[in-house]
Amino acid sequence: MAGYILKRLFSAIPVLLGISIIVFLIMAMIPGDPATAILGSYATPENVEKLNRDLGLDKPLVQRYFIWLGNMLQGDFGRSFSLNRAVLDEVMERFNATLILAGTSFVICSVLGVAAGVVSAARQYGLADKAITFAVLLGISIPSFFLGMMMILIFAVNLRWFPVSGMWPIYGARDLSALLSHLTLPASALAVVATGVIARLSRSAMLEVMRQDFIRTARAKGVHERSVIWRHALRAAMVSIIPVLGIQAGFVLSGAVYIEMVFQWPGVGRMLVDAILKRDILLVQGGVVFVAACYVMFNIAVDVAQGLLDPRIKT
Amino acid sequence: MKLMELTRRALLASTAAFALGLGVLPAQAQTPEDVLIVGQIAEPKALDPAAVTAVNDFRILMNVYDGLVRYKDGTLEVEPALATDWSISDDGTVYTFNLRNGVTFHDGSAFNAEAVKFNFDRMLDEGHPYHDTGPFPLAFFFSAVEAVEVVDPLTVKFTLNAPYAPFLSNLAYPTGLIVSPAAVAKHGSEFGRNPSGTGPFKFAEWRSNEAVVVEANADYWGGAPELQAVVFRPITDANTRTAEMLAGGIDLMVEVPPVALSEFQGDGFTVHEQAGPHVWFLILNAKEGPFADVRVRQAANYAINKEAIVNDVLEGTAAVAAGPTPPAFAWAYNDSLEPYPYNPDKARELIAAAGAEGAELTFYVTEGGSGMLDPVAMGTAIQADLEAVGLDVKIETYEWNTFLGEVNPGLEGKADMAEMAWMTNDPDTLPFLALRTDAWPDKGGFNSGYYSNPKVDELLEAARASTDQAERARLYQEMQTIVQEDAPWVFVANWKQNAVTSDRVGDFSLQPSFFLLLDDVTKN
Repeated sequence: MAGYILKRLFSAIPVLLGISIIVFLIMAMIPGDPATAILGSYATPENVEKLNRDLGLDKPLVQRYFIWLGNMLQGDFGRSFSLNRAVLDEVMERFNATLILAGTSFVICSVLGVAAGVVSAARQYGLADKAITFAVLLGISIPSFFLGMMMILIFAVNLRWFPVSGMWPIYGARDLSALLSHLTLPASALAVVATGVIARLSRSAMLEVMRQDFIRTARAKGVHERSVIWRHALRAAMVSIIPVLGIQAGFVLSGAVYIEMVFQWPGVGRMLVDAILKRDILLVQGGVVFVAACYVMFNIAVDVAQGLLDPRIKT
Repeated sequence: MKLMELTRRALLASTAAFALGLGVLPAQAQTPEDVLIVGQIAEPKALDPAAVTAVNDFRILMNVYDGLVRYKDGTLEVEPALATDWSISDDGTVYTFNLRNGVTFHDGSAFNAEAVKFNFDRMLDEGHPYHDTGPFPLAFFFSAVEAVEVVDPLTVKFTLNAPYAPFLSNLAYPTGLIVSPAAVAKHGSEFGRNPSGTGPFKFAEWRSNEAVVVEANADYWGGAPELQAVVFRPITDANTRTAEMLAGGIDLMVEVPPVALSEFQGDGFTVHEQAGPHVWFLILNAKEGPFADVRVRQAANYAINKEAIVNDVLEGTAAVAAGPTPPAFAWAYNDSLEPYPYNPDKARELIAAAGAEGAELTFYVTEGGSGMLDPVAMGTAIQADLEAVGLDVKIETYEWNTFLGEVNPGLEGKADMAEMAWMTNDPDTLPFLALRTDAWPDKGGFNSGYYSNPKVDELLEAARASTDQAERARLYQEMQTIVQEDAPWVFVANWKQNAVTSDRVGDFSLQPSFFLLLDDVTKN
């Protein structure tokens, strides 16, 4: 197992190098440069040239890439010019906020999605199945940013149960209950689509397993139906559900971009959108590489978990 | 069956628990008294006035710092601030300021002539020990400054390399705000996050992406402010900003989207409006194609229904522009100028006379951008108006930074017209950079449509060099008449800045400078 993990970690290196080259090239190729973005109306060629020199953007492309890469390997991601702050500090802080949002959302969609899928499969074509299938279809079909705006309108503006936006209260204690009240709406809005997808796939995975012989055997032995479903069948179905969870974790992470915009959650998605609009090259590059690295690590963890769950998957 | 029962029971129980939980949830708390929460449009870049360029950042800075001079309340004319008075040499190149006595920065250090010299040297002198706390993108506002000399602790002398009338106005701009040299020395490149000025509010706390908090400066030389503190919250999404305002999470909101204004018509809110030094126009390519003929340029001005654009597309958040200079520059504005009326018949006649019927035009439209209002909807309305008088308009849409990269180097060989908007702090900058022959793109200016009229060049040069305001006004008014007739642009709209306050906020008014001044504001 340790050898497998090590092998996977090594294989991540070319992936990350590739990502760093792609994001660097994209930022170099997109029209509009940081100096123009900063100067706006005042971007005369003379002013742009001077500012580019001040920002260190007058060097050749290849040289800039290796300077950036070299610094990054030493843990120096550079300085964001749009926020006037070290890129790594900003990215870590923002990523933390995204993890709280996406993590909560991921827990919600995994638990609800798998539970709904199991119930649906256990009651195939029954009332519960039909109700769940309908709700799932509805959930998958509503764009999350629209759902987010509607939730703000209903639960924050009209009913005033939850705050409209942000992660912490402007005044008052920064405790768990303050965080939860800010987290409820965005985490729910973000979880809806993923819950639907997971529920659908869990249902079919469960149906597949429940047709197999060992389930019939368990039932014949007189094992309680609840135990058949939740212990025997679900455990077997998890092997095909877990990769889906892994993929959904990626979707939740990328879906967080919209939700962070709508709810003004101070996460890494909103940071990247702002940074791209301002052509904050180092912040975009550093942010993307960092998020990609986390995503790669997460996938490795999922694969390892799958291996642990099902010894047949050879490492 | 068991499973189903269990689920049903569990579902019922959890629903009941959820409903109960929500029922006992307290309504969200009100914002505290004497603390004003302002909904800003973005996270500030830095609180170092020399290093920033965005109006969003200026809104905070104007409350933390003072300049030598400032704009008189409700106008764009300068009055004393940290300087009590000044004299200008006869040739217009030497400005001597007498400074206010007994003023200290928030960090306790003294404000004096040395501090003023430090501020301008830091920005302008590449050899200055703290020049590396930049970059200072707007330092060129003061590129005419040759030297800053300390005459005595309370007198400072600026020597310019040539007469430059906008100098005083630029001093009132945020780039001219005075920072504490001691704080710059202490914090270096982190000064932008640890600001210290002389203004009515002093910096308290910056929580990244959440809030910038400033507290009342009880020792302010102009008298302590009414509020105890102001919290600036960055809320980039306009819909979310509107929702926060409706829910009571903020007390003051700037840049209300036109479509949201109707939400605030009720008793709980006051909508504020103020015309600013802004003009939205179309650059016409006067070098080649149909717009090389002045009659077709005038025809475009007649053909476009500007009333419909400001009332229907912009929901009344802008006024129809008459010429190149915004009316907010009251002293320099030519009141006798009437906007081109909407007259499609006249437009058709002019186009026929010029033989340009059915001409194909390429129109650059941006998706957004600073001061661009609602550029896509406006571009589409303009396209429809021009097609109605027989011009064939093809729109090309670009993201803002890409758009600037296409338009600023000039429209030649690419397009016939492009959207543009400018906001300046004096009536000099825009025409000087965008209407002179010497401001064609190849000469480093923004005259992307290649307009050229020697008389206009002459008037603009003279107006910028003169220090006599009456003389400057006369020159600018004459320039506006000529430019309106020559129609190098289609003059479309002057934006009215807006803001909404809740009924707890008192004594608030918007400034034509678009800055946010909060020292007299109250909240209960």
